[in-house]
Amino acid sequence: MRQTMPVRLSTAEETLIEQLKSLGNEAEAERISVAGLPTRRVESYHYTDLKTLLKAMPPLAAPANEASAPALRVPGAYQLMIANGAVQSAGTAPAGVIVETSEGTSLSTRDDVLVHLNGAMAKQSLNLTLEGTVDCPLQIDRRIEGAAAHSASSARVFVADNAKATIIETCSGSKAAHVGNHASYVSLGKNATLTHITVDLSAEEATHFSTTEYELAEGSKLRSLVIHAGADLARSQVFARFAGEGAHADFTGLNMVDDGQHRDITLDVHHAVPNTTSKETFKQIARGRSKAVFQGRIVVARDAQKVDGKMMMQGLMLSDEAQILSKPELEIYADDVVCGHGSTCGHIDEVSMFYLMSRGIPKAEAQVMLVRGFLEELIEPIEGDELREALNGVIEGWLQGGIQ
Amino acid sequence: MTTPILEVRDLHVRVEDKDILKGVNLVLPPGEVHAIMGRNGSGKSTLSYVLAGKEDYEITGGDILLDGESILEMEPDERAAAGLFLAFQYPVEVPGVATMTFLKAAINAQRKARGEAEVTTPEFMRLVKDAGSRLNIDSAMLKRPLNVGFSGGEKKRAEILQMELLQPKLCVMDETDSGLDIDALQVVANGVNSMRSSERSMLVITHYQRLLNHIVPDVVHVFSDGKVVESGDKSLALELEAKGYAAYEKDVA
Repeated sequence: MRQTMPVRLSTAEETLIEQLKSLGNEAEAERISVAGLPTRRVESYHYTDLKTLLKAMPPLAAPANEASAPALRVPGAYQLMIANGAVQSAGTAPAGVIVETSEGTSLSTRDDVLVHLNGAMAKQSLNLTLEGTVDCPLQIDRRIEGAAAHSASSARVFVADNAKATIIETCSGSKAAHVGNHASYVSLGKNATLTHITVDLSAEEATHFSTTEYELAEGSKLRSLVIHAGADLARSQVFARFAGEGAHADFTGLNMVDDGQHRDITLDVHHAVPNTTSKETFKQIARGRSKAVFQGRIVVARDAQKVDGKMMMQGLMLSDEAQILSKPELEIYADDVVCGHGSTCGHIDEVSMFYLMSRGIPKAEAQVMLVRGFLEELIEPIEGDELREALNGVIEGWLQGGIQ
Repeated sequence: MTTPILEVRDLHVRVEDKDILKGVNLVLPPGEVHAIMGRNGSGKSTLSYVLAGKEDYEITGGDILLDGESILEMEPDERAAAGLFLAFQYPVEVPGVATMTFLKAAINAQRKARGEAEVTTPEFMRLVKDAGSRLNIDSAMLKRPLNVGFSGGEKKRAEILQMELLQPKLCVMDETDSGLDIDALQVVANGVNSMRSSERSMLVITHYQRLLNHIVPDVVHVFSDGKVVESGDKSLALELEAKGYAAYEKDVA
C-alpha cells in the first residue's frame, strides 16, 4: 500500500502551476500540484533534482521587442530565428528548403516533465522540410529576449528520402535568469543524411532545457552533437528511435561545466529494428565546484538482431572540487547483438603537460592544446570548415574563460 | 674564460625521501659533446628530467647553470626558451594534436618568449621539409597526431626533428639509441652530428657504447649511484664496455 503524502511545493512550482492554469492547461497544472517537479527519487532525474535545482520560475515570456547580438553566427548559413517562442520571418530559403509554421509543439507524448511542459507552453513550431542536397548549413537561432522569462520553443525537421543537410541550433538571448524549454523533432527519411548540432550559449544565470527526438528510417545516417557552453543549470535530452533497417547514428556530446554550474546530457537510444548501428561518444569537462552529468541508455528491442551499439563517456576534471557523473545503461532484449559501454574520468595528463612545456609551450597554452586534443574526435568529423571553426570558437571561448 | 653552456654544481636530488642524485658536477664548454654512461638505476634519466624541469623532484642542494644563469626557478617552457632541449627516452603520445600544429606552436612559443617575430607559414613549411627530408620524415607522418602510433624509430627521429627546428644551445639526449635498429641509429646520429657546432653543447646519456661510435664524444663521464665517478676521453667508453660498470662502482666503495 502506498501512502500518498501531499507534496510540499516550492515557490517555483507554485508559479509554474499558476502559469499552466493561465494557459488553460488544468491537466498539467494538476500533475505538478500532485507530484511536483521530479526529485532524485525519480530515476531519470536522480542526478538532476529539478525540485531543488530550479530555484525560481520567471513569468511567461511576452513577445520579444528587440534581439540581442547573435551568440554564434555560422558564416554562410541560412538563418532562421525563433524569439521568445515565436518564429520570425526569414529571407528567401535556399533550394530544397521549405519553411512553414504550425500551432503547438512538435514533440511526441513521451512521459517526461520537460516534454509535458513544452507541450503545454509552445505556441508555435518552426517546420522545415529538406529535399535533395541542401548546400549551405541551416542555423536555427533560438532566443529568449527581454527581462527574465519562462519560454518554450519548438521546431520540426523532415529530412526527405535521400536528402542531405546540416543543421546547427543555437540557444542564447539577453542576460537574464530565463528558463528556456526548447524542443526539436527530427525525422530522417529513407537514406537521408543529416548532421544536427545543438549548442547552448544561454546567459550564465539562465536555465536551459532542451529535448530532441530523432526518428531514423531505413538506411538513414545521422550525426548528432550536443554542446553545453551556457546556462547555470542545463539539461539536454536526446531521445532517438531507429525505425528502419540499415540506419546508423553517431550520437555525440560535449558537456562543459564551470564553477557553480550543473549541466546534464541525457540520452536514450531505442533500436527498435534489426541491423541498425549507433556509436555514442560523450565528453565532459568540469572545473571549479561544478557538476557534469551524463546518462546514456541503449535499448535493443526483442527482435532487433544484429544491432551494434558502442557507448563511451570520457570525463576530464580540471579541478579537485568538480564532479563528473556518468550512468551508462544497456537494455538488451535481443540475443544476437554487439553492444558495449565504457566510462573513464581523469585529470590532464602531467606527463603530456611536461612534454609540451619542455618544448617551450607555456602551461596555459599546453593545457588548451591537450583539451582541444581530447575533444578533437567530436569536432573533426563535422563537415564544413566554417562550421568546425565556429564550434572550435565556442570551445576556445569556454577554455579561455578559466585557465588556471 | 668562456662561460660553459651547462654547469651542474654539486647537485643533490631527492624523490619521495630517496636520494637519487648525490652531488653531480659537470661542466660543458661550448661546442663540446659529453657522454654520460651508467647502468640502469644510476640516476642518469633523473638528471635529464631535472635539467628539463620536471616536477616531482626535490632539489636538496647545488645548482644548474645554463649559460651562467641558474635555471632552478624556471618552468620547463622557460628553460626551453632559454635554449635547453631534452630528447626523451620515451617520447609522449599526444592524441588529437597534429604533429605539424605542435611543431609550429613550439617554435612560435619559443620565439615569442625571446621577443622574436612568429615564423611565417611558408618559412615554417620550408624548415620542416628540409629537416624532415634529412631524417626520412614524410609529410604523412607529420599530419598524424604527435607520436601516436609512431614506431620506436619514428618517435626518435621526430625528437631529432624537433631538436633541429628549435635549434637549442644545449641538447640533452636521454637514451636516444634505445629502440633503434642500426639503420635508424645511423639516421639519428647523422641528424645529431649535423647539429654539432662551436656554439652548441650536447649531453648524450646512454647505456651502451654503441651510440658513441656514431656520435663521438669529447668527454665521457661514468655515472654511478647518483654521481660522476670517472671522466675521461672517448677511450673511457671502450674501457667501460670491456670491464663493465662494476669496476668503477668498487672504486666508489
